[in-house]
Amino acid sequence: MSAPVQTSRWKAIVLRHETALLAVVVIEWLCFNAIGPRFGSLDNTFDILRHSVEIGLLALVMTPVILTGGIDLSVGSLLGLCAILFGKLWRDAGLSPLTAGGCTLVIGALAGGLNAGLITGLRLPPLIVTLGTYSLFRGLAEAITRGADTFTNFPASFLFLGQERWLGLPTQAWLFGAVAAGVWLLVHRTTFGRSFRAIGFSPEGARYAGLPVQRRLTLVYVLAGVIAALAAVIYTARLGQAKADAATGYELFAITAVVLGGTSIFGGVGTVHGTLLGVAAIAVLNNGLVHARQPREVAGMLTGALLLLALSGSVAPKLWAAWRARSRPSPPPTPSSTTS
Amino acid sequence: MSAAPLLELRAVAKSFGGARALRGVDFTLQAGEVHALLGENGAGKSTLIKIVTGAHQPDAGTLAVGGERLSHLTPAKARALGIACIYQQPALFPDLTVAENIGLRLEAGTSLRTIDWAARGARALELLRRLGAEIEPDAEVRSLSMPEQQLVEIACALGAGARIVIMDEPTASLTQKEQHLLFTVVRDLRASGVGVIYISHRLEEIFALADRVTVLRDGESVGTHPVSSINEAGLIRLMVGREMTQIYPPGEATLGAPVLSLRGVGCTASGVHGVSLEVRAGEILGLAGLVGAGRTELARVLFGLTPADAGTIELNGEPVVLRSPQAAVAHGLAYVPEDRRRHGVVLEMPIAENMTMAVHRRMFPGAWLRFGAERSLALDYIRDLAVKCTGPDAAGGSLSGGNQQKVSLARWLATRPKVLILDEPTQGVDVGAKGEIHKIVRRLAQEGLAVLLISSDLPEVLGMSDRIGIMRGGTITAVLPGNADAPTVMSAALGQSEKGAA
Repeated sequence: MSAPVQTSRWKAIVLRHETALLAVVVIEWLCFNAIGPRFGSLDNTFDILRHSVEIGLLALVMTPVILTGGIDLSVGSLLGLCAILFGKLWRDAGLSPLTAGGCTLVIGALAGGLNAGLITGLRLPPLIVTLGTYSLFRGLAEAITRGADTFTNFPASFLFLGQERWLGLPTQAWLFGAVAAGVWLLVHRTTFGRSFRAIGFSPEGARYAGLPVQRRLTLVYVLAGVIAALAAVIYTARLGQAKADAATGYELFAITAVVLGGTSIFGGVGTVHGTLLGVAAIAVLNNGLVHARQPREVAGMLTGALLLLALSGSVAPKLWAAWRARSRPSPPPTPSSTTS
Repeated sequence: MSAAPLLELRAVAKSFGGARALRGVDFTLQAGEVHALLGENGAGKSTLIKIVTGAHQPDAGTLAVGGERLSHLTPAKARALGIACIYQQPALFPDLTVAENIGLRLEAGTSLRTIDWAARGARALELLRRLGAEIEPDAEVRSLSMPEQQLVEIACALGAGARIVIMDEPTASLTQKEQHLLFTVVRDLRASGVGVIYISHRLEEIFALADRVTVLRDGESVGTHPVSSINEAGLIRLMVGREMTQIYPPGEATLGAPVLSLRGVGCTASGVHGVSLEVRAGEILGLAGLVGAGRTELARVLFGLTPADAGTIELNGEPVVLRSPQAAVAHGLAYVPEDRRRHGVVLEMPIAENMTMAVHRRMFPGAWLRFGAERSLALDYIRDLAVKCTGPDAAGGSLSGGNQQKVSLARWLATRPKVLILDEPTQGVDVGAKGEIHKIVRRLAQEGLAVLLISSDLPEVLGMSDRIGIMRGGTITAVLPGNADAPTVMSAALGQSEKGAA
């Protein structure tokens, strides 16, 4: 009795989206390792890690947003705005980087609260609301700097966060790991994550079950804002400067990583570890192509192709099953249906 | 009178899954006749209409139009034969003009044809004037009242040369004056040789308008009578006079203190007004009424989905404000909704997750999921309620209707409620599961729960209830004792005079 259960469980794990994605990451790694001589080095591995932290953070918090059936297009712009405000708070208000960072997180929360308020209070679709704040936040960043002001000359103690190692790993990797663990627990081990999925599958069903739908939606958008602000601080520390056009287009990379990781854009289905694998697949691809001396455009093309392939791949088994069912001869009529 | 009737159905049967919606119905419609179709909710009227309009294919029986037998009727073929249906909610394009709507229905256009606007307008005007309607063809449909939209529908039917016109509760949203206008139109149609099938719950309309009336009950025709040879009491008897085919669990009610008391409760948005009611511990209060009488709306008010804006709600003597479902749950209310696929169960989620969905706070202190506890709770309810499934991990959507209903019920029993509101708990549920659900509900009442049972299934209300509240037009119009007979309840629900033996 236990044997068939065991095989089906193994089959389920092998056929899982995350497993296929892990294989893609490994294959990417092996290919680039064979092509580029320096690709597999520890330095380069840390480089990949450093470069993927900001997009990774955005993808992590985008996962619960998409699980509820929503979307947040404003995170990239918010990252830019927060980077500018962080620079302002440090340079012009004279705050220490730590205090300025704390204030930036609060600003991120407020910005996320604005999204949440418009979505839950006015019941506007998340796509439209965050499309609006996408322009609003970036516009604010550009207005504050008049498109020219940049913030540089940060103290070394701050740059340590983005450019040095701590306990053997890039400093920001520790923060990333902590956020990843937190979001994973939130989504997979708490009633919050359960509610996100219920809302994503059926907002009305969740309401009829007495779940606090508005509060849960508020949580995911505020969380997205806070983590976008954290990503802004790390981004500034990695590059050593803050400009209004920081992280342009990051929201789309984040969404790509989430969807590549197996989260359904319609909500309800998805995992945080899938998202992490999605981030890894994109990061390794981008870095590897640099080492393989391919132009940047190729990375965009291949990322797009990978995403479409993954999406088709997840639909293919269903289509195959449907085709099999149709081509099979129809079963003989059951006795009960021939009574008339 | 010609030999062949305009429309003739013989022994028409239709099943959906296991449920037999029609079991061999005979029905004839003559030219120049208004033939009323009467029956309770779920008696099979809609199914019969859908067979005549070609939307459903009968499993058995024959259908003939003008003496010609039709084997495979499609909606397009039905239209071509001159069969038109006017629904309660007109299906027009609100942003197009009257003439455009009529043109879309009547002009057999292809995309390459040009439109003769003048002819289209003139035709629309001609059809509307034939109906005596003062509607401008250029008016946007959005700007028309409901009866005016119905007239546009009838104009479409006329223009299509309809010989058979079906009207499904056309007066439901009309004022007295608008009704008279509609009646005139119907009489004109009859005079011009059109056969009209007229569906209505309002008995007085049937006597005012129809020539014959056919009563459907449980998917069977229980008789066709000339209107002149039958009275209202006779019709009501035909509608409800069935054998009690099911044994209902006995209720030796030992009633406790009032748990839920409503005084003048209303909600403007949902049309509920002035509801006063008391449900006691251990009592099953049935709520009977026609579709649209406001029963589900009342349940939604109590559950905080559309909060009350008038009156007071008391739970165990304490006034409470129920502004959201969370507040209602916190106060010990539970609502098993009518539409279980949309509201009762999240189809994509496992049974266990569905069952704990309303008890997150109590089951999972500190918000941490406890999978073991969840699983054992689910297994308990699967056993207690005899849910047929492969296990707690099976998706809610993989279950049959009755078992989904049990999952929905389990979710609310897990909250240990004081008041349980059941909305059509056995609709679309097979007979076996139905009986089980009845037993569970009776047992819960005996354990001291106050139960509000909304049901359109009259025998269910009669068999289960300790008292029966009648709703009509958004309010409670009467409360009858649990031993009231079917004609009394039906009369009260229809708003007939002989109500109120309380």
